[in-house]
Amino acid sequence: MDLNYSPEDRAFQAEVRRWFETNLPRHELRTPDERKTWHRTLHDAGYVGMGWPRQYGGGGATPMQQAIVADEMARVNAPPTINGLGIGIVGPTIIVHGTEAQKQRYLKKILAAEELWCQLYSEPNAGSDLASLKTRAEDKGERFEVTGQKIWTSGGLIADWGLLLARTDSTVPKHKGISCFLLTMRQPGVEVRPLRQITGSAQFSEVFMTQARVEKSDLIGRLGQGWEIAQTTLSYERGGNSLARVTRYASALNQLVKAARELSRGGRPLIDDPLVRSRLGRIYAELEVQRYAALRVLSALQKGEAPGPASSITKLSYSEFEKRMHELAQEILGPWGQVTAGAPDDFSEVDTSSGEPGTWATAFLWSRAGTIYAGSSEIQKNVIGERVLGLPKEPRADRTKA
Amino acid sequence: MNFAFNQDQQLLKNSARAFLDEHCKSALVRALGDDPRGESEAMWKDMAQLGWLGLSLPETYGGSGLGMVETAIVLEEMGRAAYPGPYFPTMLAAGAVALAGGAEQKSRWLPAIATGSARATVAFLDAQLDWEPSAPATRADKTASGWTLTGTKHFVPWAHVADVLLVPARAPEGLSLFLVDPSAPGLKLTPVTGIDLGARWTSLALDGVPVRADALLGESGQAAALLARLLRRGAVGAAAEMLGAARRCLDMSVAYAKVREQFGQPIGAFQAIRHRCAEMLLEVENSHAATYYAAWAIDARAEDEALAASVAKAYVGEAARKVCGEAIQVHGGIGFTWEYDLHMYFKRAKALEAQYGDAEYHRELVLDHVAK
Repeated sequence: MDLNYSPEDRAFQAEVRRWFETNLPRHELRTPDERKTWHRTLHDAGYVGMGWPRQYGGGGATPMQQAIVADEMARVNAPPTINGLGIGIVGPTIIVHGTEAQKQRYLKKILAAEELWCQLYSEPNAGSDLASLKTRAEDKGERFEVTGQKIWTSGGLIADWGLLLARTDSTVPKHKGISCFLLTMRQPGVEVRPLRQITGSAQFSEVFMTQARVEKSDLIGRLGQGWEIAQTTLSYERGGNSLARVTRYASALNQLVKAARELSRGGRPLIDDPLVRSRLGRIYAELEVQRYAALRVLSALQKGEAPGPASSITKLSYSEFEKRMHELAQEILGPWGQVTAGAPDDFSEVDTSSGEPGTWATAFLWSRAGTIYAGSSEIQKNVIGERVLGLPKEPRADRTKA
Repeated sequence: MNFAFNQDQQLLKNSARAFLDEHCKSALVRALGDDPRGESEAMWKDMAQLGWLGLSLPETYGGSGLGMVETAIVLEEMGRAAYPGPYFPTMLAAGAVALAGGAEQKSRWLPAIATGSARATVAFLDAQLDWEPSAPATRADKTASGWTLTGTKHFVPWAHVADVLLVPARAPEGLSLFLVDPSAPGLKLTPVTGIDLGARWTSLALDGVPVRADALLGESGQAAALLARLLRRGAVGAAAEMLGAARRCLDMSVAYAKVREQFGQPIGAFQAIRHRCAEMLLEVENSHAATYYAAWAIDARAEDEALAASVAKAYVGEAARKVCGEAIQVHGGIGFTWEYDLHMYFKRAKALEAQYGDAEYHRELVLDHVAK
């Protein structure tokens, strides 16, 4: 065991920290154009697609270097890249499963945010049971024609392209009849409607596809290989960024401690109330444990080990933690906690962990998402039970039935 | 950065597992549970042979010069086996002598401990049961030849088999630490029995116990910092043992859930059981990260060493109690029986949860660190 950062990593960290001190945008980024400009600034500095292979425009960086950049971004609450899904999920999927022509056509534009991407996976009746999706892609000779509806599509409104899962064969068991496609969102057959969420903003959308066109050359992998491809995609989603997450949580918790100094009960500051201290102490201990667990995952990634199903443990752990943390924050902040506008700065702006600016109220509401998206807590527990602990599978008719 | 054990550490873990599987079966733990002494002399000698008793002691005194990570590895395996005996209290006390002792104190005690001919322990708690290292109210009054100690100590582990007791007391110069002979006049030992079959506690009544001038460990009045260090090691060691107990309970539960059938299926196929086991694994893995991060931080003298130790103790204490308790739930009625081994781990975890600072105490320290 040696948990010291190497001298190289330390030097890299110092360099990254300096870069963000100099280049961090001074005001909130409001328009997609402003966000693209910031993305390109990050790209020019080599902080976008850092882990992609060099031959595809990436930096060939180590998992540790990637974690350091994400962590430094979290430290200064830097705005996220505009093409997060493109960089984090779509690009890697094309790199692993795509043809050479697909790599040439798409990867550079993803990196430079010339084309923005979304992920067309979930459907109104296929969330956790993703494999029961109904969207169909029919072979029409020179192209596929896609009809169906997707939901919970992050960034759907600004996306140029979507990574799509659709059923291409309904005569085989459901996991086997799914294929993976690249679909252009800029066509008459695709309609995107903003979906207002619990926080009041609309980061999600619904996407309606009516005889939308997908070129034959935009099939990823083989016909019917979609489910397998989606599994690698989801493991990217559950992978690396834990350290940066913990840094964001820590920044919110430090603000909470500050608030506990300013608010009082029975004539004394909350921070002196033993009950409040005990609860803050516990949540901070839990936060530190999330950090150690993140370092453990990072150390495995660093050695080239795939986090595999163990990443389900991390995801379950931090998303449940985030909920507990914001529930406690609400209790400590009292009436200020649920305010969405008009509170003094100290009691309003906080790192929401989503990368978007917001209030304690937004953060509290947003914390409900973590245990639902990218595989709900229940799904993670099934994965852990079956694939890590080797417990027997539940008898499920859908594994065999078409 | 590498969170995994290196090759030597992995070997140590494997050999500790193998030794304890063979020499510390539950029949022995149960038999020693009924024995007033409570430990096996033969196992102690074997552990000396294996080098465990000198694991973290300096090589010049017959030790191996290893650190808290290695100690935690052995302790985790001991927790897994519900090992009964004074291993860890002896290691803590020996560590204090190695850190603060003079040349004579070191040569008197360290080789004896490393070779298995002496045992030792530390008396952290006074009558008020305050874990704060500066708290002890036991008095050290000056005499012509040294001091006399007067006060009460509670929950001293394994004092009845110890050859030397480390006793903190308040001298005129401030908090000091003394090496006390358990057979000294004026010292009365009363055994206290708890739920853990493999633990033994003692209350010490000190009524003007004479100690010689050379019994002082380190400088007079300077013991608080050393005690804080010992308490941190204690907290991490306890976390390691609780982690071992929790992992054993998880393993037993998973094995049971695979074979025990109800309603025509193994109970592990039901989400109610599977999800419980997944949550147990989450707690065990987080506890592993917390324990070994803290052990490493102590060895590396990392900036966040104290914070990490308190985090580990506060977190693992709760987690291990939860996991061991859930194991009983997964097993149903059989888990509640004396005949089945689960209760030994549940009790070990519960007893250790209150040792070396309970969760409330360590949460307070955590907040102290972060709210500065």
